[in-house]
Amino acid sequence: MKNGKYRETSKMSDLICDNYPMVLVMSRFGIDLGFGEKNIGEVCRQNKIDTQTFLTVVNFLTETETAPVAEIHKDISISSLITYLHNAHDYFLNFRLPHIRHKLTEAIVSCPKDVAFVIRRFFDEYAEEVHKHMLYEEKTVFPYVRNLLEGKKDPKYNISIFRRRHDQIEMKITELKNLILKYYPGPDSDLLNSVLFDIFATEQDLASHNRVEDYLFVPAILSLEKQ
Amino acid sequence: MSTSLNIAIAEPSAIIRGGLEAVLKRLPGFRIQLIEIATAELLQETLRSHKPDMLIINPSLPGFYTMQLLKEETGCTEMKCIALLYAVADHALLRLYDDQISIYDSPEEIRHKLERLHMPPEKEIENEEQQTLSAREKEIVVCVVKGMTNREIADRLFLSTHTVVTHRRNIARKLQVHSVSGLTVYAIVNKLVELNDIHL
Repeated sequence: MKNGKYRETSKMSDLICDNYPMVLVMSRFGIDLGFGEKNIGEVCRQNKIDTQTFLTVVNFLTETETAPVAEIHKDISISSLITYLHNAHDYFLNFRLPHIRHKLTEAIVSCPKDVAFVIRRFFDEYAEEVHKHMLYEEKTVFPYVRNLLEGKKDPKYNISIFRRRHDQIEMKITELKNLILKYYPGPDSDLLNSVLFDIFATEQDLASHNRVEDYLFVPAILSLEKQ
Repeated sequence: MSTSLNIAIAEPSAIIRGGLEAVLKRLPGFRIQLIEIATAELLQETLRSHKPDMLIINPSLPGFYTMQLLKEETGCTEMKCIALLYAVADHALLRLYDDQISIYDSPEEIRHKLERLHMPPEKEIENEEQQTLSAREKEIVVCVVKGMTNREIADRLFLSTHTVVTHRRNIARKLQVHSVSGLTVYAIVNKLVELNDIHL
């Protein structure tokens, strides 16, 4: 892992090779693969993405242990950040979770019927919760912020309401992981292990996603509200 | 099992801040998230938005602002405040803090202080205890997955609701499963109930 922070002049390929989960961040910002030898600044400009926001997010996520210092949110573009968060929601809801469900169903096909049933039911309930969680952000929080950016303040809402009700959405997928690891009664299979890896990755990904919301997005909106 | 802690360091010197950060990150048994605060102006705002579990603070930063007031105003009533000392300090000043760390403390001493401040005393005993469920706890799992309320469970098993709640907390801690649907998976897999028993 590279020491210190990534800058505009760092090569995009170095960033991704050092921290492969950043490939998801890149794609959520709308950057395609095939960036050649270009540096981060060049790639961002070419894709019309705010470089500072991209760098803030990747530096925040790659320095996993440290929460950002307070003034970090001053030079990020809030609308870029919203696009990023929206694309992440789209990825979880329309790709990641359905994909895991499909694979999981297939992987547990040989375990007892009742067990398969309750595991599937657990997963569906979980997916439903994630839907609700993200839909609230899409339907309430983002429109509020978009209006705020246009100078229209909603007297009945503020970002602290969101901050208080924003829960850790990865907790329950951690439960699913624990249940399968400790109590899964059927024979082990390559497919089941592969689902487990997907679940590990999704757990991490959701936790990072929430951290971006709590530590970059919310503080940025707090300071926007004060203006 | 490592303990997760959010710690804010309020210290004007970048060298001391960085040094303390390096020491904290290497402490065994902790997963520490750090928030740096470099100036007094950022103190309140940062605490308000991050709600850390602990604040390690250079006593010269808040001045005569009392820690109690700071906790209340930032909504961090549970936060522990630790004074970061370069030298001998006035006892009257230190009384305002939950503990103190000297820049000459060894990592071992710092770890003991964090543990003492963070962990409720009974926690260590709990870790020793076995993690499988007792017969009574299994009975309660069965009731929970059948959709009974705490009140109903209490009546059925001749317990107080308070005891039921305590049992449920212990079950969640032992299994690392908190939701009813998660407990259902546990109960089915371990053949504590059958699918027909469950209200679907």
